[in-house]
Amino acid sequence: MTTANTALKPVLQAVGVDKSFGITHAVNRVSLDLYRGEIRGLIGENGSGKSTFCSLLTGIHKLDGGHFLIDGDMLAVRNQIEANNRGVSIIVQETGTLPGLTVAENIFLGNEKQFTRFGVKNTRAMNRRAQKLLDDYGFSHIRAAQAIESYNFENRKLVEIVKATYFKPLVLIVDETTTALSQSGRDELYKIMQETRADNRTVIFISHDLPEVLSHTDNISVLRDGELIDTVKSAGTTEDDLKRLMVGRVLDDRYYRKDYGERQAGSLALSVRGLCVPGQFDDLDLDLYKGEILGIGGLSECGMHEVGKAIFGASYHRTGSVTLADGSSINTVTEAIRKGIAYASKDREMESLVVNTTIKDNIILPTLSQTAAVKPLNHKALKRFAVKYANQLSVKMTGVEQYVNQLSGGNKQKVVLARWLGKDSDIYILDSPTRGIDVKVKADIYALMSDLRSQGKSILMISEEMQELMGMCDRILIMKEGRINAEFARSRDLREEDIIQKML
Amino acid sequence: MTAQDSTVQMKQSQWGQRLKAVYPLLGLIFIVSAFAVLTKGQILTPRSIRLILSQVYPLLIASAGVFLVMTIGSLDFSQGSLLGLASIVVSALSFYSVPLAILGGILTGLAVGLLNGFFHVRFRIPSFIVTICTMYLFRGFCAYLTTNAPVSAIPTITAFNQDWIKLCFAGGVLAVVFLVFHFSKLGVFLKSLGAGETATRFSGVRTDWVKILVFAAAGAITGIAAFINVIKVGSITSTAGNQFETQILIALVLGGMPISGGAKSRFFAVPIGTLISLILNNGLVMIGLDTAMQQLVKGLIFLAVVALTIDRKALQTIK
Repeated sequence: MTTANTALKPVLQAVGVDKSFGITHAVNRVSLDLYRGEIRGLIGENGSGKSTFCSLLTGIHKLDGGHFLIDGDMLAVRNQIEANNRGVSIIVQETGTLPGLTVAENIFLGNEKQFTRFGVKNTRAMNRRAQKLLDDYGFSHIRAAQAIESYNFENRKLVEIVKATYFKPLVLIVDETTTALSQSGRDELYKIMQETRADNRTVIFISHDLPEVLSHTDNISVLRDGELIDTVKSAGTTEDDLKRLMVGRVLDDRYYRKDYGERQAGSLALSVRGLCVPGQFDDLDLDLYKGEILGIGGLSECGMHEVGKAIFGASYHRTGSVTLADGSSINTVTEAIRKGIAYASKDREMESLVVNTTIKDNIILPTLSQTAAVKPLNHKALKRFAVKYANQLSVKMTGVEQYVNQLSGGNKQKVVLARWLGKDSDIYILDSPTRGIDVKVKADIYALMSDLRSQGKSILMISEEMQELMGMCDRILIMKEGRINAEFARSRDLREEDIIQKML
Repeated sequence: MTAQDSTVQMKQSQWGQRLKAVYPLLGLIFIVSAFAVLTKGQILTPRSIRLILSQVYPLLIASAGVFLVMTIGSLDFSQGSLLGLASIVVSALSFYSVPLAILGGILTGLAVGLLNGFFHVRFRIPSFIVTICTMYLFRGFCAYLTTNAPVSAIPTITAFNQDWIKLCFAGGVLAVVFLVFHFSKLGVFLKSLGAGETATRFSGVRTDWVKILVFAAAGAITGIAAFINVIKVGSITSTAGNQFETQILIALVLGGMPISGGAKSRFFAVPIGTLISLILNNGLVMIGLDTAMQQLVKGLIFLAVVALTIDRKALQTIK
């Protein structure tokens, strides 16, 4: 292993750390040393064991074998609060704040004692202290006494950042947090990471965004199938080097479409007029053509994620019209699906998939819900159907009877796409289709999108990744504060800066 | 890990799954054997078996309906007072005609079920709260209707109290529920709804209608149970069907029904659970425990079974 400060004593050591979930060997005897004043990247494909490793470190999961040492002492914690007390804190991938509590209560969860006198909590003192922290971090737009629910996903992430860092932990784990943040939120996070390093403490930074990892870390450890493959210095390492380490083979760089300027003139597929969802976006018009990939980009809270949901008929209080080429209008989810509209939500686990059931049921459900025939189910035929589409997308599974919650993020997304292919949809609304997904599955998804496009299907891709929009779309709409602010046509000369300009 | 290893482990985990699926059956065998020993074989005499079977029908029928409710992840506590109310309707109508009485019972159940479903869906109130409210509401109705005297059915109705008639009703209901659950798309929707509501709705299932339908069906089915109840007891007092809802819930859970419903709901929880629950009831009486002790033991067993079987992993994902 090559590390920058081999001469120093490590602050955190993982020794033969091991964990299995059923048949999945999630973390396979991983040994790792972390040093003071270091930002360590931790990368790997989905299911490579990054998050599990951190869950073991913070006591979310129990170790099967091995142990952790912090400053040479045994570290065996049972929960995050104990981990915090030992100087290890984590900002998790999913929502880590608790609804029903105020911002301040979330920040001081498990540490309320400092505000308690004679068994009575001094809420005002707690709020004052929390607000002071928020102000110091530059998040004064978040009010400590407010309920956490009154803030959106991004602001809740900022609260989590405060919660995880205010007590100056020895080791700070940032697990895939940046995907939830807009550029300004990311910048805040990078700043905190730098400060932690400058303070001679340590950061473990997990992300799928390789350029981001390269530019914000000192060293990078690569996991593959639960095993530690290598640790490299960030300086002098290229993205391709990392990809090679992650997948164990050379990947060429052709994920995106390569064609430019040979735009097919398809006919109109779907037209949206005066669409509005209160508090999300206003008076939106757009046309989607056959054989077209239309992109919508913007900051995460610009309203674009609600646009997909609204077109699919799933938004509450929607006004305006969504009309198909045949003149029929779409107002409910059922109508949308019947008319061949597919929707992959950004919230894959809650809205796109029934995770606590089988792959089979997930794949057949949209098709089954629209068949009018009242006849006994043919379980064999249903299974064949599910197997066919799961295989078409090469879902990595033990069989279609496997539960979806046992799959990695990329494979879950493949199941989402499989169900809509099975429904033979014509219009695909894909919200953040590659969010939190590794390069290999990403490439598969892009290939599928190109394929659908050449079959004359329409795709509306909503994404926060500029590269992806530029690489895949025929046209890109940029939204800002609930309105369309600009439109760009596909071109080799498109520059990311110009697009970002229109978002801010 | 080699591919071979993973197949072996996969097979083991499949075995584990299958083993889990027969736990309730093992429970039934265990409880029969245990009481056979404790009552020195008394529980296995033809007389005891006939006694137990004579009580089985209303519970068996109503459990089949509530099984559907629990599959979608809801609960129905109004079943007891519903049984009481529907029994009163059946009794009153029995003086006109028996088919009319049966129909009246079913329609009463259907109406109560629709009411439960409507409040649950329209006002987004959790089902256990809605049905606890309607439980008191209809218990009040029952008390009011039986203020002066128990409501008697036409005396000749007890002529229907024959095993083959009851068996036909119970068999019919169970067969229909079984077929719907396994061979109609509704069955797939119910399990999916229990496993994840939003995603099911986003798959094009009209979840609101399905929920109302399920509560209505559970009500109507208990309406049938009410007829069986009336032909057995002949007259209805204000306490008819008291605690029936808890009996159903306990029976289903003892039969292996996951308390949160969803994809792991198995139909055989209905017959197996009903049998376990009744054998437990009768066995405890036979070994001479007084009522207070019986309740205590039943409470403990229920708690233990839920604690042992509740699916804590349902929300846990592997990353």
